[in-house]
Amino acid sequence: MRFDAIVIGGGQAGCEATARLLDASLKVCLISAGLTMEDENTDPWRENRAMAQRGATVLRGDRAVSAVLEAGKVLSVRTVNLDDEPLEAALFILATGKYFSRGLLSDMEHIYEPVFGADVDYIPGRSHWYDQDFSAPQPFLSFGVKTDERGRVLIGGKSIGNLYATGDILARDAAEADWAQIMNDYAGK
Amino acid sequence: MQENNISAGNLEQCLKCNLCTLVCPMMAVNAHYPGPKKAGPDGERYRLKDPQYYDYALKYCLNCKRCEVACPSGVMVGDIIQAARLRYAGHNLRDWALANTDLVGSLASPFAPVVNGVLGLKPVKSLMHAFMGVDSHRTFPSYSARRFTSWMRRQDQGGFDKFVSFFHGCYVNYNYPQLGKDLVRLVNAAGYGVHLLEKEKCCGVALMSNSMGAQARRQGEINLASMRKAIAAGEDILTVSSTCTFTMRDEYPHVLALENAEVRPHLMLLSKWLYQKMESGEVSLRFRRDLHLKIAYHTSCHMQKLGWRNFTLELLRKIPGVELVEMDQQCCGIAGTFGFKKENYAYSQAIGGRLFDEIGAARVALGAQSDPGFVVCTECETCKWQIEMSTGVPVMNPVSILAMALE
Repeated sequence: MRFDAIVIGGGQAGCEATARLLDASLKVCLISAGLTMEDENTDPWRENRAMAQRGATVLRGDRAVSAVLEAGKVLSVRTVNLDDEPLEAALFILATGKYFSRGLLSDMEHIYEPVFGADVDYIPGRSHWYDQDFSAPQPFLSFGVKTDERGRVLIGGKSIGNLYATGDILARDAAEADWAQIMNDYAGK
Repeated sequence: MQENNISAGNLEQCLKCNLCTLVCPMMAVNAHYPGPKKAGPDGERYRLKDPQYYDYALKYCLNCKRCEVACPSGVMVGDIIQAARLRYAGHNLRDWALANTDLVGSLASPFAPVVNGVLGLKPVKSLMHAFMGVDSHRTFPSYSARRFTSWMRRQDQGGFDKFVSFFHGCYVNYNYPQLGKDLVRLVNAAGYGVHLLEKEKCCGVALMSNSMGAQARRQGEINLASMRKAIAAGEDILTVSSTCTFTMRDEYPHVLALENAEVRPHLMLLSKWLYQKMESGEVSLRFRRDLHLKIAYHTSCHMQKLGWRNFTLELLRKIPGVELVEMDQQCCGIAGTFGFKKENYAYSQAIGGRLFDEIGAARVALGAQSDPGFVVCTECETCKWQIEMSTGVPVMNPVSILAMALE
């Protein structure tokens, strides 16, 4: 299936990104394993539902699992449910969040981003992730995906031309693209 | 992900966030149901310690899998509940009769006109309500005098060099052969012949919901053996029902421990198969321009879990005269045999209420208040019974709509 843009992650950041892309009249697919929770909101799918009502294709309860890249660009992603149906687009937004939403996974030594294998800014070794003092700033909270100065995601130190990260998944010091820039890049494809 | 996670259904990954509880349709209407978190991963810890902790309120689970769709941690909440019911719950004669769709269907269909007439009689309904616990509001889907398979065996499919196998399911075979005929027409138009599987049994979903796991497993083994043969001959296996499909793809391995890895990629709804064949350019179908239908699409629970609704929606959009509204994804409340049981009827209708309202709203949105061309489209036959009974709007499987639209 082909779209103009695919947003991976249906939490707050992903829904905001989707809304902006819909504002620009793009055909958008929102892959949403996540729910957005607000105060006094007993309807956890509300934001996702609003995006669907505005015309986005929302893959509810699905999760991107792998991507195909070529010549520094993302061509397509696959999901758990659509494992033999590549989802293609010109523009990809990574908004899968940090640990709870599984945007970042870890083993004893490493923290990694599972869909694209994006570069993650962190200190190897689990003992460095926490401060013994509970109320001190916790290092793991500042870890996240690295981007270039224009907010494009880095993989193996190289900028990916059509992949931007937004929201919680970003490392504390990583640059976030501004939307005018993203739409400019998109217009030039 | 934890590397050495050996818990069944991923239960150790549950963080107690309760998102599953929030989206559970039963939880919203029934205070006796403990909710998916408590019935699933929480309860499982106790049941593993001592089976006496099994809570009979688990019978209220609809097996809609909405808890799994919502779970951010990949816990197979619904599977854990389903497996616990298979292990610990019992069943009565009514449950046995509702669950044995194959047996009851093959007994009923030779006498279809009589059976249909008798089952529709008010006194019979009252007796079934009182003595069997089948709710008197419900009408059984009528049986067909002629089975789909006996029609299919007389169809000449010799003129093709490519084939698919068709898992028709109980509903097509005993109740509504026309849906199977529609699939054959579409697949033939796409240049493929249709074979029946060597042997086909009910997928077992009703057996599983009614705690008859051993029989469900036996039937599953028979189905998988036939499917392996078809796949070895180069055939995909097509279906029309989202529930049969989901059961055989996902519940066979997860709940019945039936290994199906080599079957799974070849087992799919017609809409996925046809979409992919048309997109790759291998198949091109021409649709009539004079078919005017206003369609409200309802995503059945198992269709939501499969995540395949866009295949259907994209195909429907290819029909020139179709106007389509995608309704929000919510449960109709019947959940197969669940809604037929008299103790569940009120819950069933309370859950479905939101969907029925939304169908009314879709009708208005399409400007079809008095339009005979307004239909609800869904892949699930029990949703069809529920929606037709509760709203009076005709419900069609997308396969029938696509077949109707063929030039």
